[in-house]
Amino acid sequence: MPDARYNPPQRMMDKLRLSGWGAALVCLVAVLWVPAARAASWEQPASDLARQIASLTGPGPARLLMQNVSTLPAGDLPVIRRLLEQDLRRLGVLPGGSDSATLIRVTLSENLQGGLWVAEVQEGTETRVTMLAVPLAPAAPGGSGGAITIRRTLLITEDAPVLDAKIFVTGGVQRLVVLEQEQIVTWERNAAALATDAWMPDQTFPIAHTRPFPRDLRGELVAAADHPFDAWLPGVACHGTEAGAGVGTALSVTCVDSDDPWPLAGTMLRQTAFYNDLRDNFTGILAPGLGMDLPPFYEAGEIPHETGASLLLTLVDGRVLLMDGGVAKPVTGANDWGSDFAVLRSGCGSGAQVLVSGSGAAAAGDSLRAWEIAGREAVPVSAPISVDGAVTAIWASTDGASATVIVRREAPVRYEVWNGSALCN
Amino acid sequence: MARRFVISVLLVAVALTAQARTRPHYGGTLRIEIQGDPWQMPDGLARRLVLDTLATVSDTGTAQPALAVRWTAQNADHRWEFTLRPGVRFQDGAPLTAEAVVTALNDVCSRGAAANPPMACPWRMIRAVGDSVIFVSDTAVPDLPALLAQESFAIARQDTSGTIIGTGPFRVTGFANGALLLAANDDCWAGRPFADSVEIHPHRTVRDQWLDLSVGRADIVEVPPEMIRPAQQQHLSLLVSRPVDLLALTIAPNGPFSGREMRQAIALAVDRAALSNVIFQKQGEVTASLLPQALSGYAFLFSTDRNLDRARALRGGASPTGVILSAEDTSATLHLAAERLALNLHEAGFAVRVATTPARQPTALTLRRVHLEAASPAAALDEMLARFGQNGTVTATDPVSLWQTERGVLENDTIVPLLWSPRAWAAGDRVRDLRLWPDGAPRVADASLEGAK
Repeated sequence: MPDARYNPPQRMMDKLRLSGWGAALVCLVAVLWVPAARAASWEQPASDLARQIASLTGPGPARLLMQNVSTLPAGDLPVIRRLLEQDLRRLGVLPGGSDSATLIRVTLSENLQGGLWVAEVQEGTETRVTMLAVPLAPAAPGGSGGAITIRRTLLITEDAPVLDAKIFVTGGVQRLVVLEQEQIVTWERNAAALATDAWMPDQTFPIAHTRPFPRDLRGELVAAADHPFDAWLPGVACHGTEAGAGVGTALSVTCVDSDDPWPLAGTMLRQTAFYNDLRDNFTGILAPGLGMDLPPFYEAGEIPHETGASLLLTLVDGRVLLMDGGVAKPVTGANDWGSDFAVLRSGCGSGAQVLVSGSGAAAAGDSLRAWEIAGREAVPVSAPISVDGAVTAIWASTDGASATVIVRREAPVRYEVWNGSALCN
Repeated sequence: MARRFVISVLLVAVALTAQARTRPHYGGTLRIEIQGDPWQMPDGLARRLVLDTLATVSDTGTAQPALAVRWTAQNADHRWEFTLRPGVRFQDGAPLTAEAVVTALNDVCSRGAAANPPMACPWRMIRAVGDSVIFVSDTAVPDLPALLAQESFAIARQDTSGTIIGTGPFRVTGFANGALLLAANDDCWAGRPFADSVEIHPHRTVRDQWLDLSVGRADIVEVPPEMIRPAQQQHLSLLVSRPVDLLALTIAPNGPFSGREMRQAIALAVDRAALSNVIFQKQGEVTASLLPQALSGYAFLFSTDRNLDRARALRGGASPTGVILSAEDTSATLHLAAERLALNLHEAGFAVRVATTPARQPTALTLRRVHLEAASPAAALDEMLARFGQNGTVTATDPVSLWQTERGVLENDTIVPLLWSPRAWAAGDRVRDLRLWPDGAPRVADASLEGAK
C-alpha cells in the first residue's frame, strides 16, 4: 500500500537532512517572508495615514511617538513605524527631531468595524487629530493531521446565515449555489481573481414561503435528475432549472409550499425522509421505508458495505444508530459527536468515513473529525481539527466525495462555507 | 482488582448512556430572575421577548432587517423609506401594517417627549404609504436604521385589557406567583423560540437569584459587574457582555457650578481608577468618553487622569455650600460609588453631601448609570446624547466627526464619564446556546433547554 500514501513524510525529511544548506535557505526564506508579507499588507494604510499627517503638519522636522492599543501583534508596530517614517519623509516631514516643536503621536487602535489608526499632531498648545480606518486581516485557518487527513477549502464567507452550498454545472458553467434563509444565490467562478475571490455573486432568487421558518433553520441542496438542483427547506421545496439552452444559460428558481419527504444522501438505499417543520428534525418516517419505525433524527447517511449499505442516524435524543438489515444497532464511541455529519466516500481505509462535527459548546470552538464505523463502534480515523466557530451544518456532496461544512464565526458574526474532504495518508 | 473492575464497569456504563450534544431541542420552561422590572424602559427584558423593532443590529453595529426588510435613504438622509416584512402578525393575529407601525412609533415619541430628560424622536414626520413607513427629518439622520433598532422604538400595541402585544418570539399570558408568564409565539416571523414558555421573576435580589440558580429554581440570573469575580470563583457558567453601562457624573450648569472652571475642577478631582478598583472590582473600563474604546476606537483621546492640584487651582478658593450628590437609583453599588466620589471632591476642597435617597430631579451633582444599546459608533453617540438630554444629533459617521461632536459636548463639563461596565448573566446547567445581544441582554428566544421533549 505504500503507493496509496499521501505526501509520504519520510521522504521529505530525508531530503532536508541530506541538504543542510537547502534547509537553512528554506528557514531563511521563511523567516524573511513572514515580515515581508506583513509589511506589504500595511503599506497602503501607512501611506494614507502619512498623507493625512503631512496635511496637518506641513513639511519640517517632527517627533514621532507610536503605541499599539489594538490586537495587532507587537511585532507589527516596528514594521508599521518604518513604513510610516518612510512615507512621511517622502512628503517632507522628517521624523526623529527630538527637539522639534511638532509632536506626532500615532496610536494603532481598533473598534468593532476594524482597525483605527489615530494620529494626534501637537504644536504648542494646539492638538489636531486625524484618523484612518484600517481593515484587519482575518486569522488563517488551522491545520490537520492523523491517519486520514481532513482537507478543507474555504469557498466563500457571508454575513447572512448559510444553510448549504454546492457546486452544480448548468449550461456548461460551474456555479456555486448558496442556500440562505430567505434566498438562493448563485455564484460564478471568477477565473481572473485570486483564490480567495474565486467566486463572484451572480443571480439571486427569493424563497417564497407562507409559514414562518423554524428558528434553527436547516436546508439542503440536492442534485436533481432532470434539472440542476432542488433545495429543501422546512415546508418548502425549490426547483432550480435552466432558463434556456446553451453555454452560460441563466438559472431560474421556483419555490412552493411542500411537505414532500427530503431525499437522504446516498445512492444505494434511495430513501426519502419526512421533515417536521415545527421541530426542525426528520420525523423518522421514511419512504419507501426500511420496514420498521424509526425515532426522530437529525441526520442520516449511507454507510456502504460489501452486501449493500447501512443507514447511520443521529437521533434527536443524542444517540447514534446504525440501521442494518432491519435491525437498529446503537453505535458506541460516538459521545463526541454533534448532530451533523456527512458520509465521505474517500476510498481510504474501509472506503467510507463519517465527517462529524464536535459536541462541544460553540463558545469554546467546534471541531471536525473523520470516523469509521467498525461493527457497532465509531472509531476515529483522523485527528480532530479545530474550527474557529460553530459548525452549523454538514451536507454530503452529490458524489459523496466531499462535504459542505458551514461554520458560524462570532464577533463579528459571519458564515464560512468550507468544502471538506478526506485524504488517505 | 474488584475495585478496578467496578470502576471499569461504571466507566463503560457512563460511556454507553452518555449522549452526544445535539441540535437544540424544543420545549420546556425557562425561568429567569432579575432585580428590576421586566417592562422598564428602555431595556426591560420582557420588552425584548415580546416586541420587535424595525431593524436589529449585528455584533459590529450594522443595521439588519427585522420587521422591515429593506430601507432606502433619500434627500441626503433627510427622508427614509422602510418597507415592512410581508405576512407578519401581532400575537393576537392582527396583521402588522404600516399604519400600526406609525401609531406605535407616534406613541413612543409622545412618551419620550414627556420623559425626564425628554427624548425627542429624530424625525419630524412619519407616515404610512402602502407597506412602507416614511420618516422625514429636518436634519440628516444617517444612522436611522441603527437608531430604530433600539428597544425604545419597539413596535407595540395594547389590547383592551392593557396587555402589551407585539410580534416577538413570546406573548404575554399572565402574571402568577410573582412571575410574568410568557408563552412561545408559534407564528413568530423569525421562527418559533425553542422554549415553550418563559417565567420572569422580577425584583429578586442578586443573593436570592444565585441561591435559586444553585438549587435549580432558576435558569438564568443576573451577575452585577462587581460580582463577576465571585461568580467566576463559584464556577458559575457566565456570559459577560462588552461594556454597555456608563457610570457618569452629571453637573447641573446652574447653581453652584454655573462657572465652567468649577465644573472642570470637579471633572479633574474624580478618581476613576479607585472607583474601578475598589467599587467595581476592576470589572470595567475607566473612561472619560461617552463611548467605550472598543466601540469608537478613539476613547483614549479623552484623558482620564486625575489632577488634584489643577482642580484646586480652578476652584480658586470658592467653596460652594450645601452641594448634594445624589445617585439615580437605589442600588447599593451606586450609593457606594457616590460616597467615593464625595471623598474625591472633598480632597479638592468641595464640601459635598451624598443624598440618602435617589434623586427624582437632577441635583447639582447626579451619579447616573446609563445603558447603551446601539452597537455602531454613530448610533451609539446619538443614543448617549439623547440619554443625557443633549440637543442635536450626529450628522456624520466618520470617526473624526464623531470625536469632534463628542468633544464639543464634553468640553462643557456637564457630563463627566467615569466607567464603562459590562452586563453579565449566569446560566444553569440545562440552558444551551444562550448568547447575548450586543447590548448585553440575553437572547432568550435562541436558548434551549437540555433534555426538553
